[in-house]
Amino acid sequence: MNQRVDPALLAEQVKLIRAAAEKLRVMGADFPAVDRNALRILASVKMIELNLGDAA
Amino acid sequence: MNQGQKYWNPYIETLPREDLHRLQLKKFKRIFQWAYTHSKFYRRLYEKAGVTPADITTLNDIRRVPKVDKSMMRDIQGKAPFPYGDALCVPLEEVVEFRQTSGTTGQPVYQPDTWQDWEWWAECWAYILWAQGYRPGDRVFMPFGYNVFVAFWAGHYAAEKIGCEVVPGGVLDTQARILKIKEVRATAMMGTPTYISGMAETAKSRLDIDPATLGISKITCAGEPGASIASTKRRMEAAWNAKVFDHAGATEIGAWSYECAEQPGGVHVNEAFFLVEIEDLDTGEPIEEPGRKGRMVITAFDRMAQPCIRFDAKDVIMWDHTPCPCDRSFRLLKGGVLGRADDITKVKGVLLSPAAIEEVVRSIDGLGDEYEVIVDRLGDIDRIKLKVEIAPGYEDMAKRLETVLKDQLRLKTNLGYRIEFYDHGKLPRYEVKAKRFKDLRKGSLHSRRVI
Repeated sequence: MNQRVDPALLAEQVKLIRAAAEKLRVMGADFPAVDRNALRILASVKMIELNLGDAA
Repeated sequence: MNQGQKYWNPYIETLPREDLHRLQLKKFKRIFQWAYTHSKFYRRLYEKAGVTPADITTLNDIRRVPKVDKSMMRDIQGKAPFPYGDALCVPLEEVVEFRQTSGTTGQPVYQPDTWQDWEWWAECWAYILWAQGYRPGDRVFMPFGYNVFVAFWAGHYAAEKIGCEVVPGGVLDTQARILKIKEVRATAMMGTPTYISGMAETAKSRLDIDPATLGISKITCAGEPGASIASTKRRMEAAWNAKVFDHAGATEIGAWSYECAEQPGGVHVNEAFFLVEIEDLDTGEPIEEPGRKGRMVITAFDRMAQPCIRFDAKDVIMWDHTPCPCDRSFRLLKGGVLGRADDITKVKGVLLSPAAIEEVVRSIDGLGDEYEVIVDRLGDIDRIKLKVEIAPGYEDMAKRLETVLKDQLRLKTNLGYRIEFYDHGKLPRYEVKAKRFKDLRKGSLHSRRVI
């Protein structure tokens, strides 16, 4: 593994993004432009989580 | 971003095997629980088999989970929720992508994907393209008819994700595509081996363009075994002066494997995203050792809308003996997908794989790329006819070519053939998946049985 990569540290940042995007969805429930874009952010967040395997 | 990084995911692709197995078990349990909870189809299947998520505690336990195949998916589609049926695990309003199988083996199967699933498709393809050297700065031409077939859609999205510039060659015909490649100076493209070979032929014969001069440096193939058949790969690489890479995937599964830049003579299974099991063609017993052919059973860990859990893909594969010099920990399948279990059949009591015939035909200078195999029966005797084209300039050498061809076929397949030669351009051309193998032995269930 490339030693410069620390999946656990990356996972901490991803958790923050997920929390923020989920909050956006709640706040934007009546605001389609916010809700649908937040949903796409969450799909991308999921891809990073999958790429971090057990660390995420 | 470090474009010199050779792995799309330096963490996952080099994970020690033990850690990878732990991750696979965790992910299998998660998708199994998901399907058990959210799909009536899967719940019925698993309850009938008497297996619950709690029963899965080791990788070996996974074999207790019933397999699914294409016919089961066909049976449920068209029912509620329309049109997918009750394998669907999400509310219909969360489905944002419709695709279907090509229908090569019967009624097409519909495939729903959520936006997350669609991101996942592109993510799997990003592993493929990065491993094959695609980088920001590549201009990727897509000679692909964008439609209901998933084919290279995800390759398009993955190339964008990586940072490549994508040129969609959708509705253009073959000549227009070649001219567009020349016009924009594309550096890479994707296609079936049949189409990539056909494009090269069209460039030469219709446009008087040598495809080797067009500047394409990388070609990613899918849909047929050709890019892992050494002689077919060599022909494509010579024609385009490019590296040709294989990849295997399927509509119901996802993009589950890829050849890396080392071109090790096989494909890596993306084992962080998929679980590949190999079963003996006769007994169904698991095959762990390298070098023994079997039937693939595959699970996609992260596909959520319509999960793919222990799917009997009917692909014939085998593990490779040797590790890949690329140092990925993902295992290699020697020769990629070796064929369809449906196509491997007994002729005169001998197992025949159409891929073996292609390997021979395309290894002989003087023969064209196209061929057709017809198996029929006269009385109780099986017969095989091979139709091949003679390449331009070799017309006077038919007798010698026939001798070489028969000798090589006997050596590689242990069978005798009737050879029919055709002028160049006379056999059918295919744009997507070729249908070069025809078994006409009607009513002979034994002859179609997979051995």
